[in-house]
Amino acid sequence: MLRKEQNDLLTLTGPGTPMGRMFRSYWLPALLADELPENDCAPVRVKLLSERLIAFRDSEGRYGLMDEFCAHRGVSLWFGRNEACGLRCSYHGWKYDVTGQCVEVPSEPEASGFAKKIRLRSYPLVERGGVLWTYMGEPAAPPPLPEWEFATVPRSQTFASKRWQESNWLQAMEGGIDSSHVSWLHRGDLDSDPLFKGARGNQYNLSDARPVFEVVESPGGLYIGARRNAEGGQYYWRITQWVMPSFTMIAPRGAHAVHGHFWIPIDDENCWAWSYDYHPVRDLTPAEIAAMRDGKGIHVRYVPGTFRPLANKDNDYLVDRAAQKAGRTFSGVEGIAMQDASLQESMGPIVDRTKENLVSTDNGIIMARHRLLRALKAFTDTGASPPGVDPAHQKVRSAAIVLPPDVPFTDGARDVLIARPAVAPASV
Amino acid sequence: MQTESARMSSAAEARFRVQAPNSLPRAIAVIALDAAAADVVTRLATDGWRHTTFYTSTSAGALHDLAGAPRPLHDAVAAADLVVLVAGAGGLAHAAAEVGRACSDRRVTTTGFLVGAAAAPPREISKTLAQLRPWSLMVVIAETDEYIGDMMAALRA
Repeated sequence: MLRKEQNDLLTLTGPGTPMGRMFRSYWLPALLADELPENDCAPVRVKLLSERLIAFRDSEGRYGLMDEFCAHRGVSLWFGRNEACGLRCSYHGWKYDVTGQCVEVPSEPEASGFAKKIRLRSYPLVERGGVLWTYMGEPAAPPPLPEWEFATVPRSQTFASKRWQESNWLQAMEGGIDSSHVSWLHRGDLDSDPLFKGARGNQYNLSDARPVFEVVESPGGLYIGARRNAEGGQYYWRITQWVMPSFTMIAPRGAHAVHGHFWIPIDDENCWAWSYDYHPVRDLTPAEIAAMRDGKGIHVRYVPGTFRPLANKDNDYLVDRAAQKAGRTFSGVEGIAMQDASLQESMGPIVDRTKENLVSTDNGIIMARHRLLRALKAFTDTGASPPGVDPAHQKVRSAAIVLPPDVPFTDGARDVLIARPAVAPASV
Repeated sequence: MQTESARMSSAAEARFRVQAPNSLPRAIAVIALDAAAADVVTRLATDGWRHTTFYTSTSAGALHDLAGAPRPLHDAVAAADLVVLVAGAGGLAHAAAEVGRACSDRRVTTTGFLVGAAAAPPREISKTLAQLRPWSLMVVIAETDEYIGDMMAALRA
């Protein structure tokens, strides 16, 4: 459980809130690069950390992310014309460049210099790995650009998607480090999903449904190890990485791609669940990419033209009670992502953690909260840069590995928990 | 018309959640398995936990409360819903097996907590893990010993 004030501290991320300020220390995924596919394309509304923004790509390919509303009369610039290196408001023709600087006010004499006095709040927007990243903190102190391996391998080796989740970011993120739910909620998917099936490690999962967990602090967050019995008295370990504030990388399966998530607050009651798949040493196959686009693995199918999952709260998540009864799915909801999201959304927009009853196997969640609160205090009291900002904290990998019984997994798997270019992941 | 899932997960509906308590207090036994752990546990005990009893068991077969009075192991385990085994990295944790076996017999959940791991070499951690792992459903290795207090608060100790 958390006290109400602790829950508020961790869940509220709007401007001026402590957690909102800390989130603004990081480069955050804001859009898929495909959302702004060409110069002078249509602008896109973006809401992040409870701020309404507009993203556009100008005539020279520069990306801009700024206040959605024109400084003149408060009209949405989503209706704007993206032309000649600027976004022009459709109402009275005020025009802004990618930095938010107003460059033209048609009703005022150019010589008056009035336009120079108008500037919308803007944030940098850079492309890496098919994702557009933004930094919403102090302009004078941007951290180094993101170095997550999925965003730095060649584009042919990586795939990212995002989906709208109708809950606070923290309950979504906590689902990502709640390893003990996998044996229940997702038990039907290991053998059937094309992005998981066939791995030898799956047999360890299925033959030992009661793993033992070990949680260890890492420089950027946590290692969460799930241990199962393997041959010859050894242990099969699945080691998940959590890096602050909201990045996870799930242990790989066989030769399949490695995958994980970011959970980024849209506002306090909605978040983006970013999902990525990549392979450090090979291209993703057409079949893999087709499966990801078709909502397999950790991805979803969409309501056409949106990033809203096809199965959502407005259609009761397409729950199939017959499939549930027959054991094809455990909750009646199809697909790993929506199995998670449906339950997390059912908790309400911001779950009341004063009423929960955590147990010992929830230590991953408990320790993540502890680390967030600890970092938040240091950040607020002394301005200390939080874990996860340093690119060294981002160059990590999850691992699936068999180790002798008395070896700390952080020692036995030390080398494979670090991203090394052109080195295959440790996977079983 | 909204589906039930849409309506029931709204903030407005959260107001109608039943406010009655949904759990009874859980009893936790925290057992220090070596001298380093005993220091941590002794400090922790001063925080005024309502549902937690603290012990030391620094040699096999002997359980003491923090005042040094001997306590029967099986009584301590029988009274607990969760037993937290605290061991220093590099400590021998001799009593882990005996305490763990008593917990196993009574189906009491165990958490192994390694203190002082940040400064300990892997070989020392390995030695203690070998004692703790067979008897712990969850093993925690934290950078700071303060985490154990946060963990207990989260578990409603």
